[in-house]
Amino acid sequence: MNIKTEKRSQMKVITGNAAAAIGAKLARPDVVAAYPITPQTEVIEQISTFHASGEMDCELITVEGENSAMNAVMAASLAGGRVFTASSSWGLVFMYDAVLATAGARAPVVMVNVNRETPGIIAVSSGQQDMISTRDSGWIFLVAESCQEVLDMVIQAYRLAEDYDIQIPVMVHYDGFYLSYLSEGVDVPFQEDVDKFLSVLKDQPGRTTLKPGQKLGVGSHGILGGYLELRHKHVMAFERSKDKFDAIDKEYNDIFGRSYGGQVEEYRMEDADVVLVGSGSMCGTIKSVIDEQREKGIKAGLLKIRMYRPFPSEALVASLADKKAIGVVDRSLAFGFKGGPIYTELKAFETQLKGSKLISFIDGIANSDITTDNVVKMIQTTLDLASGKDVPEVTWVCYPEANKPQSNEVGGQ
Amino acid sequence: MSEVRFHGRGGQGVVTTSKILANAFARTGQFGASFPMFGFERRGAPVTAFGRFSHKPVREKTQIYNPDILVVLDPSQKNSSIVFKGLLPGGMMLLNDSDTNAGISHENLEKLAIIDANKIALEEIGLPIPNTVVVGAFAKMSGLLEIEPVIEALQDYFSGKKLAANEICAKRGFEEVKIFDL
Amino acid sequence: MEKKVKPKKVKPTKVLDYLKHEDPFSKGVAFCPGCSLELLLRFIPQVLGNDIVITGTPSCSAPVLLGQNNQSWHSLSYFGTLMTGAAANATGLARYYKKAGIDNTVVCFNGDGTAADIGFGNLSGAAERNEPFIYICYDNEGYMNTGIQKSGTTPYGAATTTTPPGLVSKGKNLRRMNLGLKMAMHKIPYAATATMSNLEDLAKKLLKAKEAKERGFAFLHVFAPCPTGWGSATENTIEICRRAVNTNYFPLWEAENGRVRMTKTVKKPKPIAHYTELMKKFAHLTPEDLEILQDDLDYEVCMLGGLSVLEAECQLPLSADE
Repeated sequence: MNIKTEKRSQMKVITGNAAAAIGAKLARPDVVAAYPITPQTEVIEQISTFHASGEMDCELITVEGENSAMNAVMAASLAGGRVFTASSSWGLVFMYDAVLATAGARAPVVMVNVNRETPGIIAVSSGQQDMISTRDSGWIFLVAESCQEVLDMVIQAYRLAEDYDIQIPVMVHYDGFYLSYLSEGVDVPFQEDVDKFLSVLKDQPGRTTLKPGQKLGVGSHGILGGYLELRHKHVMAFERSKDKFDAIDKEYNDIFGRSYGGQVEEYRMEDADVVLVGSGSMCGTIKSVIDEQREKGIKAGLLKIRMYRPFPSEALVASLADKKAIGVVDRSLAFGFKGGPIYTELKAFETQLKGSKLISFIDGIANSDITTDNVVKMIQTTLDLASGKDVPEVTWVCYPEANKPQSNEVGGQ
Repeated sequence: MSEVRFHGRGGQGVVTTSKILANAFARTGQFGASFPMFGFERRGAPVTAFGRFSHKPVREKTQIYNPDILVVLDPSQKNSSIVFKGLLPGGMMLLNDSDTNAGISHENLEKLAIIDANKIALEEIGLPIPNTVVVGAFAKMSGLLEIEPVIEALQDYFSGKKLAANEICAKRGFEEVKIFDL
Repeated sequence: MEKKVKPKKVKPTKVLDYLKHEDPFSKGVAFCPGCSLELLLRFIPQVLGNDIVITGTPSCSAPVLLGQNNQSWHSLSYFGTLMTGAAANATGLARYYKKAGIDNTVVCFNGDGTAADIGFGNLSGAAERNEPFIYICYDNEGYMNTGIQKSGTTPYGAATTTTPPGLVSKGKNLRRMNLGLKMAMHKIPYAATATMSNLEDLAKKLLKAKEAKERGFAFLHVFAPCPTGWGSATENTIEICRRAVNTNYFPLWEAENGRVRMTKTVKKPKPIAHYTELMKKFAHLTPEDLEILQDDLDYEVCMLGGLSVLEAECQLPLSADE
């Protein structure tokens, strides 16, 4: 028995992976390609079950590898279909040539990527390195914090990807293990409401699709002017997707009663002196620690990145200007830079932050846990920076060994 | 908020135990969140799961280092220091064991509950999978749940004859658990 | 210098009867002189119809098959794919058309580099899943467009830019794989070999492939000489095809529902030197080296013969939905 709430939805206790599968089911895709990988596997198992029971009327392609998964859904999308696939880590890397081609072809594919370390060391552990390693693919990247947000974001992703003014593939990221396997209550929308939300796309001009007998090609060789024209159009559509995502968030709220703020979510930011910038499941933990710190009189806030590509620089600058200090929490590394990747990117906008100081935290990689204690430490270090104390630019919160001075010595391994 | 840590082995239904409880709490209008932590999945490997149950939405997405309650499905781990690590004062422990004189003590342990869940499961479902007996026993020991929402929650995980048998398991767990104040 | 061959009188065939559709290609196209691909590419839509969707990769076919910016050499629907995922792209097209109830003939048209090497995984996967489209491999035995490098179908002894003959090398020191038989082993509704010297045979096989894709995967392995890469005279392309058949270098067969059958029996096959003499890529080989190549062909023919002897006894069970 499911508990019916006053809203037009059903409450179910499900995992992040199940939320992704149900979100995909509600969007009624025509073609789904499935290949397993930990910690994503439950997504395609759920979809296979929906397909087997007749609940999901799609062509299910059980491919022989992730590369084929992306190639199959790209082609089905360009033929005119709504599509879905899911991957993680090495799987995302194995499909990467097709990930790039999908973006270049402006195929509005929607997929979820269950974040997992992709470090070159064989491991099955959490981290956002897969998202970072593929961030310049030309896809829109969204990042979810909770099981509810995974479901909502998958549905929103279709509105964004398939919008006539956008036509860019969207990847919804959520943390492996800490969110993929987390069971919590999720309001599952009714099918007719999702149909209504997505029906806006039907009223738009039809996108160009490849049908038999048409004198039409996709995947032409781009040469000089033609190539440049397509690249520039892609960049322009990428920029448009920022405001579009904000608008979609508002419309979603009108129908489903849940708003997340669009590109970024602000948590207790109004009067915050110090801010942590984060993304994904860590944000839930950070919020609860901020509440505790506020009770102690510490004015801390959270700026959660929901849209990572395009980089929401305007929204970030608007929220983060005039703060005393900002700590950026990265669950990944940027090789060639000491600080984390999101920190490094935000650094490019430092001059617009009107004096807000920036600091980098590395935490949660290699399955290490971003604990409440770690969050308290990060807030404290950011407060130290605000008060003018000498603090290191980069702190490996999950690996204190890295913070000792001798760790920077030359030589050895 | 109650923070519960589950200890067991792959195949015992540790993850399902934590899921059913999160589900049962949600049915009472409370909030529950649970997740397991394991690497390469295989039967027989130690599995730890975490559950948070609260009147307010649960936002934390970290492992539990200072549990209020321990649930031990694998009796071979009952004296392990890893199991007791970080247990808060006033702590409770639910143990699946055939031996009610388990001789368990810890400075922070105030309440100990023991249920022979494997035996009940063998009698009712023919398999030594203790999870649904344990969720019933958990409701009784913790006092946080009635048995009804637990029984309702089972419908999301079982159907048909299996559901009926597991409902009996949960009820027997609720009724037959032995609780000791330490 | 390569040898020139006097054109022989050949019997007229009924091949023109198979060309029921227009040639969708413009009159002059950007292939190398003497390239066998031009005939093959013009032939396919004239037999199958102009409503096919054809996919192609960066390859020899690309300059003509794929458009450039918004211009194209032909009026077919086409889809430019990556070499790594060509069969998966075709899968996505065919499956979506199936879901949407759109009649379709998807032709996944690739060289041996894609089919036998970098894209074999997804070719094999599509065959295993019995995806409803036609896969055609035009085999010019190497990466000809990239500059004549060795592939898995490059034969023993052949000189390529990555298997140059030298003091310690005979050219390619490995035997070729047999792509056609490998695909037949996937238990697909139709697998066959063909080449441009036997056009009626090719036309029949194209039509059988089209009929078979209603039941699933159809595979054609087409031998496609490359004057530029093989060092042959541009006017010898069809003669090379003919000699490949007559020496059993490239036997013509088909496997319909698992039944292997020779579509042309060569009663007295000529020695392999009759074939290799027409191109420079074998010019460095000694008679002893040619023996090794001959032994390899004999082995393949023997295996094929064994399979075709079994034809009466062997037929794939029909799938559940038939």
